[in-house]
Amino acid sequence: MNYMSKTLMFSASALMSVGILTASLPSSAIAQEATFVFPAGEIGATSYNPITSSNLNSAASLIYDRLVEQDSDQSFHPHLATSWDESADGMTWIFKLRAGVKFHDGEPFNADTIASWIPDFVGTENAFMTAAIEKVEVIDPLTVKFVMKRPEPNLLYNLASTFMGVPGQKSYDSQGKDFGVKTAIGTGPFKLEKFEIGLETVVVRNDDYAWASDLSKNQGKAKIAKITFREIADQSTAFLELKTGGVDLLLGVPTDFLSILKKEKGVSVITMAGTGIQYMAINTTSEPFTDINVRQATALAINQSAILKSVYNGVGQEAHNFLINSLPAAKVKPALEISFNQAKAKKLLDGAGWKMGADGVRMKGGKALKVKLFTKNDTELKRLTQVIQAQLKDVGMDAVITVFDSSTIRDQYKKNNHQLAVRGYDWNNADILEWFFSGTRLGYPNVSMWTDAKSEKFKDTAMTKSTTSAERIANFRAYHEYVLSQFLFAPIYQPATNIAYNTKSLKVPAKIRGSRFRSQTIVDMEVIK
Amino acid sequence: MIAAISNSGFGRAFSTPLGVIAGGFLILLVVVALFAPWITPFDIALQDLDNRNTAPAWPHLMGTDEFGRDVLSRVIYGARTSLSVSATAIGISVTVGMILGAAAGYFGGMFERAVMTVVDLTWSFPDILIALIFVAILGPGLTSTMFAIAIAYLAQFTRLTRAQIVRLKQETFVEATINLGASPIHIVFRHLLPNALAPVIVVAMLAIGDGIVLEATLGFFGLGAQPPTPSWGAMMSSGTAQLFIAPWVIILPGVAIAITVIAVNLFGDELVRALDIRDRLRGS
Amino acid sequence: MIIKYSIQRLLMIIPVSLSISVFIFLIVHMLPGDPIDNLIRVGSSPADRIALIAKYGLDQSLFKQYIIWIGRIFTGDFGDAIVLRRPVADLIGQNLPYSLQLGALAFAFSSIVGLILGITAWAARNSWVEQVVKGFILLGSTVPGFWLALLMILLFSVTLGWFPVSGAKTWSSIVLPVLTIGFGGIALVARVTRVALLDVAREDFITLLHAKGLSRPVILFRHLLPHALLPVVTILALRIGWILGGAVTVEFVFGRPGLGSLLIRALGQRDYPVVQGCLLMLALAVMLGTLIGDITQAAMDPRIREASK
Repeated sequence: MNYMSKTLMFSASALMSVGILTASLPSSAIAQEATFVFPAGEIGATSYNPITSSNLNSAASLIYDRLVEQDSDQSFHPHLATSWDESADGMTWIFKLRAGVKFHDGEPFNADTIASWIPDFVGTENAFMTAAIEKVEVIDPLTVKFVMKRPEPNLLYNLASTFMGVPGQKSYDSQGKDFGVKTAIGTGPFKLEKFEIGLETVVVRNDDYAWASDLSKNQGKAKIAKITFREIADQSTAFLELKTGGVDLLLGVPTDFLSILKKEKGVSVITMAGTGIQYMAINTTSEPFTDINVRQATALAINQSAILKSVYNGVGQEAHNFLINSLPAAKVKPALEISFNQAKAKKLLDGAGWKMGADGVRMKGGKALKVKLFTKNDTELKRLTQVIQAQLKDVGMDAVITVFDSSTIRDQYKKNNHQLAVRGYDWNNADILEWFFSGTRLGYPNVSMWTDAKSEKFKDTAMTKSTTSAERIANFRAYHEYVLSQFLFAPIYQPATNIAYNTKSLKVPAKIRGSRFRSQTIVDMEVIK
Repeated sequence: MIAAISNSGFGRAFSTPLGVIAGGFLILLVVVALFAPWITPFDIALQDLDNRNTAPAWPHLMGTDEFGRDVLSRVIYGARTSLSVSATAIGISVTVGMILGAAAGYFGGMFERAVMTVVDLTWSFPDILIALIFVAILGPGLTSTMFAIAIAYLAQFTRLTRAQIVRLKQETFVEATINLGASPIHIVFRHLLPNALAPVIVVAMLAIGDGIVLEATLGFFGLGAQPPTPSWGAMMSSGTAQLFIAPWVIILPGVAIAITVIAVNLFGDELVRALDIRDRLRGS
Repeated sequence: MIIKYSIQRLLMIIPVSLSISVFIFLIVHMLPGDPIDNLIRVGSSPADRIALIAKYGLDQSLFKQYIIWIGRIFTGDFGDAIVLRRPVADLIGQNLPYSLQLGALAFAFSSIVGLILGITAWAARNSWVEQVVKGFILLGSTVPGFWLALLMILLFSVTLGWFPVSGAKTWSSIVLPVLTIGFGGIALVARVTRVALLDVAREDFITLLHAKGLSRPVILFRHLLPHALLPVVTILALRIGWILGGAVTVEFVFGRPGLGSLLIRALGQRDYPVVQGCLLMLALAVMLGTLIGDITQAAMDPRIREASK
């Protein structure tokens, strides 16, 4: 061969070998570090102690594991518990635990852990989560038995909550008040490295992790090595950080920002079904809402689809009852669902004696149909309330808006100063019906000020007389249907949870499992730049 | 009468080009604020959900906001909100401040010290914190805003008046008048207050400027005027989400605030120069 | 003289602080709403709520609650936050350094720039330069802080990429917040400096110095400024409260922790111990500043000192 072709061949083979070498280099040549931003509702957590905290954030779900995990279809999946068995009468539960699980400080996880952990709740603000458990018996190192005071079909739901992430018992007992502040020992895929209130939380990978739930594809240690969670209260600032690449992922984005985010190159938005409802509570003890026909008219005046389109740009879903779609108790009789019907609303008001006046406001007995419309000082709620004000005007109701901060508005509710209140809740369990409509909670949280004998009976049956999960669902469905029939509120909207991230730096699984964006997804994510 | 006005100190403030521009703008602003309900091209609460966030063009000369409401109309009405809140608040502040300051300066002693300590505390406390505490007590709305602004500037008027009183107490003619049997109230109204009035008015003007800014900040946190009443701050706050789609919703009210406050400050400075009361302002 | 006056004022701090503490306590408890509603979670029972109220002593008389609180303060114990679940001292301790950092730097910035602008405006008095400088001075205080902050972020972070958008970790993240707050404070310092110089420059002894042949810079820096600085220092000492708690808006927009933000969050959640603790601390700092301010003012103006005897 002449000189030229030898060089060519040499360079060609050199190039090829370099190519092969780089292809086989591990991708961890890229620093697996990412920065996430907490959603607005998770800002201000001051401790990672799941037993005593009132406010836990997403990072807590990475530090601690739970016995079971809940998927978006409400099903429960094994995690630290591999299987469970509820007795026919609901008074005993047997949990089989996973083998080979260790806490971050090396302490082994076994039945003794559970026996030591459940009593920790007594006397704390979260005691109600384990109140139904009488005692925990250790059957063998990987089996525990819960002896119940009463049947609790909601037990698995509580066990899947972030507040029932299992803390290391040795550390918990020795650290006392400092647990969750200086150290936070769990079994989770990440360990707490640094925590500065109001600023950031840094977690690092637990390299021994080998017990992810089946909601994750990755059954070993997480791919990301270090995550910094930042607290940014101002949503525009958070958006600008994502845009400039200062952060990699926003855990919660207000719908306002979705349109600009979608225009950003290199940013992708994941929309998950939300876990809450926005609605307008109607004070049943305040004239004219003592009349059920006026209440129905008010509820029918709300145009859910117009709101979905104009206020939320089509993101999320309409709400036509009090529970989120994925809950079985939300599947009520179609006739009871509340939907927009302006003609019927006007007819109902006419029938109730409220005749249309000259200025577009209805009158009855010389009095105008002027009502108080309260809401909290939140950008989206205020926008929603202004649209609702206009929709009420369309049926002849003059609603005057007052905006309050959250503590003051609760005081107003307790003083029974309100008539209509636009608000929302975030909860994915049917017992939210009891929370907002129980006769023992008048004022706040029972903003509708509602109580009657029939309602209380439905409530008691649902809350305390259900022994199995199927029974509970049926009882709550009955309670739900009764509440709907009384028009205690106007359903409006089911928010979606939006997560925005930088596609140039992060790779996120295509299908998100679980009801919220938590550890099951994060262990599957990796940094690509 | 016109000759009398233009020869007075206030009239002299209009003698420079700067005074004319600033003063003229302010007069225009007051007129606009007074007649706002009649001169806005569109109803400020009229929603047009199909035309949200449109750019400035005929007929919406400043574009539309997130509800399709006309931004120009809302900026005009916002002037009314800002000016009325600040003016009322400063009015309250001036009245209370002058009474307190006159009393403190006149009676002196422990009373004076007690009053000045309390009043100084209000000035040393950041006005935004005072405002937020008021909002927590009274609820959001223009009343809380007014009280907060009033308290935030109380100290300046109290100090000014007190300094005047203290200064004049030393003057011999006051001693003489007292010896002749004049009552303290007579002295206060005939001699002390008229001298204090001019600097107070100037400071009041500057305080109105700051009041407009404070009202906007409260509006940003959603604690000022209640929807759908427009306020420059609230417009900017709800506009931040539309920053890259409809930037005019944030920019225009901000420009309105800036121009207004600059005009107020410039005219205030012209007044100081025209009335030649620099040394009477020393006490603040 | 001054010493006697200072001691008089120092001794007054104790009764004044006590009255302020009563005032703070009453205001906080006058706020509608309570912390327990911010604490209870879905699933708890109404009985749980009543138990919580008793646990935190909120069912006792206001007088008793006040005595317990103030008693603890005297032993240095600020108590535990109800909603924020940490000792108040911890919460303040974690936020204070950030406030001090930002406040001190902004204070220094506005003082230095304000002084320079004030001196320039005076030195160039009665010329067109004075008008330009006065316009410059105005810029910072005519727009709301959040607007200025947003503009700065858009210009320097998003477009130019010189500084991070938010945060408090790196030194570069403090530049924009300092500038935003600093611009607002320039006007006050500049105005006071200019007025003070105008006053001092009228005195007879300045004319004498001119006659002695001293150059204008020497007169300015060696003789005028020291006298003019006194009222400036007085005013600035009185504004100590702003350094600690006045940066709320900026902290919010730039995502920084701070005393102001802590106070506002605790206020929103009616976390009584935290709000009381923060307000008391602010009040004490402000009184200290006022004391310093008053002493310097007394040293400066014999007439006022005379009148307060």
